Amino acid sequence: MKIRKFVACNLLILLAAGVSAQAAEMTKLNARAGSKMRMEGTSNIHDWQVEATLIGGFIEVGPNFPLEPGQSVSPGKIEARGDTFIMIRSLKSLEKDGKPYSDKMDEVMYGKLKVEDSPRITYHLDELTLKEAAKSKDAPYVCEAKGQLAVAGVTNQITMPVNVLPLGDKKLKISGTTTVKMTDFKIEPPAPKIALGMIKTGDEVKLIFDWMVGPRTQPAASASK
Amino acid sequence: MNENESNVWDFNRRDFLRSGSVATLMTMLGGVELFAETNAAPGSETKKVKVKQKVAVIGLGTWGREILNTLAVVDEADVAGICDTYAASLRRAASLAPGAVQTDNYKTILDNKDIKSVVIATPTHQHKEIAVAALKAGKHVYCEAPLASTIEDARAIATAAKAAKQQVFQAGLQLRADPQRYFLVPFIRSGAMGTSLSAKAQYHKKQSWRATSPKPEREKELNWRLSKETSAGLIAELGSHAVDQAAWFFNAQPVAVSGLGNLTLWKDGRDVPDTVQAVFEFPGGVFLTYDATLANSFDGDYAMFYGTDAAVMLRESKAWLFKEVDSPLLGWEVYASKEVFYKETGIVLKANASKSVPANAAQAQESPFSNTPLFYALQVFLKNGIDISTQLENATTMFGPDDAEGIAAEVAKAQAKRRPAAGYLEGLQTAITTIKANEAILSGQRIVLKPEWYELG
Repeated sequence: MKIRKFVACNLLILLAAGVSAQAAEMTKLNARAGSKMRMEGTSNIHDWQVEATLIGGFIEVGPNFPLEPGQSVSPGKIEARGDTFIMIRSLKSLEKDGKPYSDKMDEVMYGKLKVEDSPRITYHLDELTLKEAAKSKDAPYVCEAKGQLAVAGVTNQITMPVNVLPLGDKKLKISGTTTVKMTDFKIEPPAPKIALGMIKTGDEVKLIFDWMVGPRTQPAASASK
Repeated sequence: MNENESNVWDFNRRDFLRSGSVATLMTMLGGVELFAETNAAPGSETKKVKVKQKVAVIGLGTWGREILNTLAVVDEADVAGICDTYAASLRRAASLAPGAVQTDNYKTILDNKDIKSVVIATPTHQHKEIAVAALKAGKHVYCEAPLASTIEDARAIATAAKAAKQQVFQAGLQLRADPQRYFLVPFIRSGAMGTSLSAKAQYHKKQSWRATSPKPEREKELNWRLSKETSAGLIAELGSHAVDQAAWFFNAQPVAVSGLGNLTLWKDGRDVPDTVQAVFEFPGGVFLTYDATLANSFDGDYAMFYGTDAAVMLRESKAWLFKEVDSPLLGWEVYASKEVFYKETGIVLKANASKSVPANAAQAQESPFSNTPLFYALQVFLKNGIDISTQLENATTMFGPDDAEGIAAEVAKAQAKRRPAAGYLEGLQTAITTIKANEAILSGQRIVLKPEWYELG
């Protein structure tokens, strides 16, 4: 009995040590300034675009994740999990040249995205696969991301190519482009009736993002210690 | 717009000419009304979601109550506090802001963390203390014009506003937020009126400006406008908007000012003239003549801008173009609506009539900008305040409060996209011009306005 207890105890200790060692190897990277999320769409009167400059959330990555420029990583699954989001009210419509477009358009967009019930667009990363290692120190690692995109209370699984560009000091720029359909998220493309005819908005929306992540900034006082 | 900010909302000549293609047809009829364009949003039948911000009004005299009346119809406003040191003023205003905190101490408003924005409508000489304290307390500040009754106070407010990188400061030069006037800027600057010659503006209203109270000390307090000690006179209290408008349209500050004033009708112990006239000299020999009187009401309040090919008249939110017979055809004036003024025909100038492909015909047929300049100024103030507060809160949540650099960078992006309105620099510059104009009026001397006065270090 004593021997059995001793073995069980040791097994538990070994298991716990293994788990904590694994957890310790994960690196958490938080959202940093300099991100951009852009959505582009079409209508029969003109194309439209909206942007947000804030992308929140975090990503936790394992030891086989390319954290620094030039890091040697083999293609295949990379240990990574993460949650990211944008606040819908931070999305602003723009002219093609980047000038602000219209407060009214923003108010309509917030309504369509059901901001009062779902104030965030969220993305949960399920799986990340390295497809192609960086060809140089300045080049990105080409990956494929599988995850859950939730918009206006509806969640869909999407798979998209993403580029991971290590910038040094564990800072990364994670970029991607994908196309989704409004109707997949139960959003009816706006089609207002007007005196001169009908405005039709295209169902497809292109999502383009640059997400900056890095270690969380420490308070100035503790950083100087 | 504050100095050093990139003005992403700026018009340029190409924008103006591009948007003028249909309006080209409208000008050939005589006097042309000028309207500003709107952007039709695809999906405008959908429920619109508006965001509100808690705002307080400090100073509840006649103008403070007008501000409360206006805020009541601004969708973005949630009036959460009202403040006045005089109990009767507070009581009178209470019905305009049901549910708002009432206080006689502005510090109570500044201590309230839920209130993000304050509108300061106290007597001009009291602005500085409250505005500087409000900025220090992290509030967005709308400070009525003129900013102050002394240049030192105006500079102190502008300096505090410049340092408040994560807040909005808006001077109460409300015409700068008026879409109708915003539309006129490229029109005038594009040379559509020929070479600029001069401008003229006036405010005529027979009224004493005196308020009465059974308590002498209260009466003195109420009549701060009538004393040189606390007021820079009609030119500052009434003329600030017209002077700022001319500086905006001409894209320059005046280089000299001279003036005259007299006290003819209201000899009730005041030492501020009841009738004034000032001439502001701008670069290139262009000048603005401004006159104001409290002794005659004829022709009210309006402004004229004269060029070699045409003149533009502005009254409230409307504008008209009066062309010379030998002026070149602009094109768009052919189909513009016209109004007759005695022997002149004014082409109605209105924003939105020049949209080449109106997405919404109903919108295109009528000027959507039918509210007062005060409405637009307060709406822009609150919208900008909401954007900056939202960006600050989101950046702080996303990066953590210790990432001051990252937060500042993100707030700066939102600051660069603020909707156009008068900032601290315009407020300071207009205060300097009108305070110096008052000195010129009282002394009868021409005063040279040094360019360095208009700078904020």
